Amino acid sequence: MKKILAIILSIATVIIAQQAIPTGIELVEKMSELMTQENSTAIMTQTITTSSGKQRTFEFEMFTANEGEKTLMRYLKPSAARGQAFLMLNNADDIWTYFPRTKRVRKLSSSSKNQKVQGSDFSFEDMGSGDSWKTEYNSTNLGSEKYNGTDCWKLESIGIPDENPSYPKMEVYMRKVDFYPIKIDYFDENDFVEKTMLMSDIQEVEEVPTAMQMTMKNHLEGTETTMQTISITYSWEPPENFFTERELKK
Amino acid sequence: MIKKTLLILLPIFLFGQSNFFGYYEGEFDQLKFANQTYNYGYNKLRLDFEAHPDDVVTIGANINIQKYFDNTMWNLLDFLPTDIWQPIFQPEDFPEEMWITEFPIALSDTLFLDNVYLKAGFKHFDLTVGKQQISLGTGYAWNPTDIFNTKQLLDPTYEQTGVNAIRAEIPLKGRTNLDVILSPGKDWKESVKMLQLKTGLGRFDMQGTIGQYTWQRTQFNPTTFSIDEQNNLRTLYGGSIVGELAGAGLWIEGAFNKMENIADFSEIIFGTDYTFKNGLYIIMEYLRNENGVSSKENLDINNYLRYFMGETHSLMQDYLFGFLSYPLNDFIQFGLLGFRNLNDNSAALNPQISWNLFQDVDLTMVYSHFIGDDNTEFGVQDWGWRIRLRGYF
Repeated sequence: MKKILAIILSIATVIIAQQAIPTGIELVEKMSELMTQENSTAIMTQTITTSSGKQRTFEFEMFTANEGEKTLMRYLKPSAARGQAFLMLNNADDIWTYFPRTKRVRKLSSSSKNQKVQGSDFSFEDMGSGDSWKTEYNSTNLGSEKYNGTDCWKLESIGIPDENPSYPKMEVYMRKVDFYPIKIDYFDENDFVEKTMLMSDIQEVEEVPTAMQMTMKNHLEGTETTMQTISITYSWEPPENFFTERELKK
Repeated sequence: MIKKTLLILLPIFLFGQSNFFGYYEGEFDQLKFANQTYNYGYNKLRLDFEAHPDDVVTIGANINIQKYFDNTMWNLLDFLPTDIWQPIFQPEDFPEEMWITEFPIALSDTLFLDNVYLKAGFKHFDLTVGKQQISLGTGYAWNPTDIFNTKQLLDPTYEQTGVNAIRAEIPLKGRTNLDVILSPGKDWKESVKMLQLKTGLGRFDMQGTIGQYTWQRTQFNPTTFSIDEQNNLRTLYGGSIVGELAGAGLWIEGAFNKMENIADFSEIIFGTDYTFKNGLYIIMEYLRNENGVSSKENLDINNYLRYFMGETHSLMQDYLFGFLSYPLNDFIQFGLLGFRNLNDNSAALNPQISWNLFQDVDLTMVYSHFIGDDNTEFGVQDWGWRIRLRGYF
């Protein structure tokens, strides 16, 4: 009788333990819920540091809607980039850029999706990919791991070739306490870590955990770009027809 | 004129929310052609003002001050093949003492109000009134639907001069917009009237354009050696499609021009571009312009004058344009720009370096190598180089 009870108890423990471990899909869902709010608007700085230590700092405003599916970003500083704007729709599958000096709008081809935005280490897809994580990658929970002393879930996301993902593989360390990612490794075709994004200074903004600083390190080129949030709100409601050429040219 | 305009604008800039910005640009060029080397250049200051007296109102203006140095006097005849100008300026039946050897063109220092406009955003449309930059079309090197501007092949993305116009940009539904442009002339017939409908379908952007105005065509008068103007009513029916195939951008832009007194003509471009993962960017465009001349044997001085005056997008009919750029590092970009006249087989190859020296300072160095016979469009020149320094503020 004791043996039977012990077997039942251990099976129950295993089941409970299994239930407590979220699957890869669940982790992606929870992370997306946090990272892609319905709408947002922010003012941010972007500091690019080259391998030789030289720096360039940009300031831009950014508007997102429909859980990041639509993004509009407009440079405010420095003078050379002032007024240049990007409109990204369909998770950055469609990108238009506006050049204020010539008052022209140009549609960029999707081959430019993974190119650097203003020479930074963030690509257009990094900036406006919305929920592509859910549709372009198969994700697996690799289990518990500590990163910088924080208990994390380690998530592995493998790109689905037919969906044309920007990276063949990504690994994410997300805090167990709230599923907020604090480190993302982006791999190239040779399974080498091409870039690493670090999220820090995580604050509650309108009850949403928000990384006020994001640093993208490019291991291939020895450069890094830090994005610092100056102000952000998730309670912004986009006016009708906001994500259009009309707003891009303002 | 500038003083008066500034006095009117001053209270707005003082009491409205206003911004001052612009750039300094210095350029030095050396060009070898007709067995001589010429040095020339300029210093330019562009000063922009922008004021927002109301949330939906923008008043913008900019002043361009440009001072040329070194060689500021050019002989137009040096730029023309000898067989074009010699029969007119040095006819065989004239005594040599009466031959004309120069057709001087001076580069004068300028100080002018390039743009001055008011833009108001209404609920259903934006209205811009005044002298404003209007850039139409999707092509990179040429724009058949753009009747206001002609681009320089060596520098197609340089800003264009302002146009006096009233422009209403009316968003309709989704990605559909209607653009109404009226650029007043001496009378209604001379004024530019233009309608442009833009829309998007899936991954494609489309645009249809209709416009009408009196086109003033330059005509050289060989009797008086003066330049006259011929008036022609021009009606333009144009359009463009931008899309992509397998990650490569594709676009077509074309226009059919119905003319009142001269032969109708069409103009079309086909373009493609692609960005490789390593940052290498390649763009190519082909132009077919029936307003140009099909072979160099048919060229006359009027064709050159109309091209130099910016009345036609090209001298001849068929051209190829290509540009590639590759980031050498985060601040230095290598570029190779080339264009070829397919009718006279002349070409130009222009390797260039763009260097972001400091946060708001760019240095561009371009070398130009011209290929072709001496009596061809680009072959008339031998080589050239340019250094341009631009600092924004």
